[in-house]
Amino acid sequence: MVGVDVAPLSRTESSRVVHLVSALGKAVREGISSIGSGAQFVFDVIRATRDTASWMPMFTLHARTLGVGSLPIGIFIAIFTGIVLALLASYSVGDIVPPYFVGTLVQKTVTLELAPVLTGLALAGRVGANIAAELGTMRVTEQIDALETLTFDPISYLVVPRVFASTLMFPIVVGVAMLIGVTSGWLAAIGLLDVTTPQFLKGVRIFFADFDVRYGLVKAASFGAAVSLIGCRAGLTTTGGAQGVGRNATRAVVISAVMILVLDAFWAVIWLTGRTLK
Amino acid sequence: MTSERRTNDFLVGASVIVVTVVLIIAVLWVRQADLGGKTRHVVVRTREVGGVALGNPVVIRGVRAGQVEGIALGERGWVVLKLGIDRTVSLPADPVALIVAASLFGEWQVNVADATGVPPDRDLRAALVEAHTTGDTLAGAVLPDIAQLTSVAGRIAGDVAKVSDRVQVAFDDNAAKELRESIRNFAQLSSELARTVQAQSKNLDRISTDVKQGLQSVNAAAENLNHFSSRVDSATSRGELQQIVGNSQIAARDLVQATAALRKLTDDVNGTQAKLSAAVSRADSVFSKMNSGQGTFGRMVNDPRLYQNSDSLVSELRALVADVKKNPRRYINVRVF
Repeated sequence: MVGVDVAPLSRTESSRVVHLVSALGKAVREGISSIGSGAQFVFDVIRATRDTASWMPMFTLHARTLGVGSLPIGIFIAIFTGIVLALLASYSVGDIVPPYFVGTLVQKTVTLELAPVLTGLALAGRVGANIAAELGTMRVTEQIDALETLTFDPISYLVVPRVFASTLMFPIVVGVAMLIGVTSGWLAAIGLLDVTTPQFLKGVRIFFADFDVRYGLVKAASFGAAVSLIGCRAGLTTTGGAQGVGRNATRAVVISAVMILVLDAFWAVIWLTGRTLK
Repeated sequence: MTSERRTNDFLVGASVIVVTVVLIIAVLWVRQADLGGKTRHVVVRTREVGGVALGNPVVIRGVRAGQVEGIALGERGWVVLKLGIDRTVSLPADPVALIVAASLFGEWQVNVADATGVPPDRDLRAALVEAHTTGDTLAGAVLPDIAQLTSVAGRIAGDVAKVSDRVQVAFDDNAAKELRESIRNFAQLSSELARTVQAQSKNLDRISTDVKQGLQSVNAAAENLNHFSSRVDSATSRGELQQIVGNSQIAARDLVQATAALRKLTDDVNGTQAKLSAAVSRADSVFSKMNSGQGTFGRMVNDPRLYQNSDSLVSELRALVADVKKNPRRYINVRVF
């Protein structure tokens, strides 16, 4: 038996360890707390959907602002995505594969991934920041308190129409992005590459499946719901004046972007695992 | 406020409707959906479908005529394919469906062809016969794709390489030389054989002619025999046959006596032959001894010195006779008193 002498911790070292453990505990508590409060928030939103009289009149206003107003940015992104994809497809495979694979690659990539994700990320910045800043300003200027005083439920009046509008209009914007992206890829292929229209269409049609479009649109809807929920929560929890509004708007955008990527992976695991073209 | 809301409603509604409709139209266009009922459906029964997927083209005589619209597992291990084919396209007289790889990149297609135009592959034809059924269902079979063909070709190439190695080991320079010699000999043999055959063919012709003549003679003899038989039949009634039989008995008796005499003669000949054989064997023994140089005769026959001595003796005798003729007094001395 060999004895080991262990020097006792000094007071400074002891307090540092205690501080570290406390910090870890606080982080876990805050994480669980935020998950719990987020789940509670989602539950409140779902419960508030029954109050159609409050949110229905506001729905089209937000749908126009968040959806129709986002079409230009979605189209802009899709145009350049399609062009770049066609050129990348041609550059990557060169003469190894037939030219019609440019069409296949553009269609598959735009429909399944790039249109939903790139558009979602762009709209996370535009819509998420918009919602967070708007609701945050209302919160710091006590407009939400005034609504509550007037017996308006802020969730059913402010959050639900935005969430519904975002969930419905994201797929619309993404659908347009899909159409524009494939079209711009087609035009780039016939204009910049040695690919003819029949070749491009053959490539698009060979491996096309309805599932591609459904998958992209469902992902877009989930992105819309996530972005609006995150923006609304960030706005409603804003404190600290204009600085707090800016901080929460930024946080909403960052969390929305991360959540979009997480949801993208989630849907891929759920729908694409073990799935083949057949 | 109401006007603005109406504008919002219109814009959102229009956006949703337009995008949805355009998206649906685009999907239907890309899928080449049958909106006007221009497609008829054909069912194919096959054991497997290879790499065929929904939307793959259906080809008739190399021209796209439709697409695969359904793939489902059938009863008793069958797979049922549903093909959508343009109504204006007529199928071959006895159609079968060949499922083939259209390229090296995983594209497959269903080739509807006439049963008489199926490649002469035993397994393929057996699969089509097995899948054949009554009704409108087409028999289908999968042609091996390029990966399988490459694998088989690789195996064959390996076997060929092995065989060529073995041939190289067995077929060295000496073997090649011998083979060349054998071929040359065989060529000579074949040319001689050809000459022989040519020569013998004339003999064969002659023999066949002789045989033909012999057969004619036999026919004539048969006719004579027939004639003779008929005469025998007619002769029996006049006692001539009895006379002939009697004469035959006498002739047979004489023949028996002659045979006995002949047998005795044969026995005498046999004895003479035995004596002759003994004499021959003795002579053979003598000749053998002579040949081997035994005895006086043997020495005479085999020893050249005897000849040389004899020849020398004769020469000396001739010289003596000549000298006697020339100088008789030297040898003959007649004295009277």
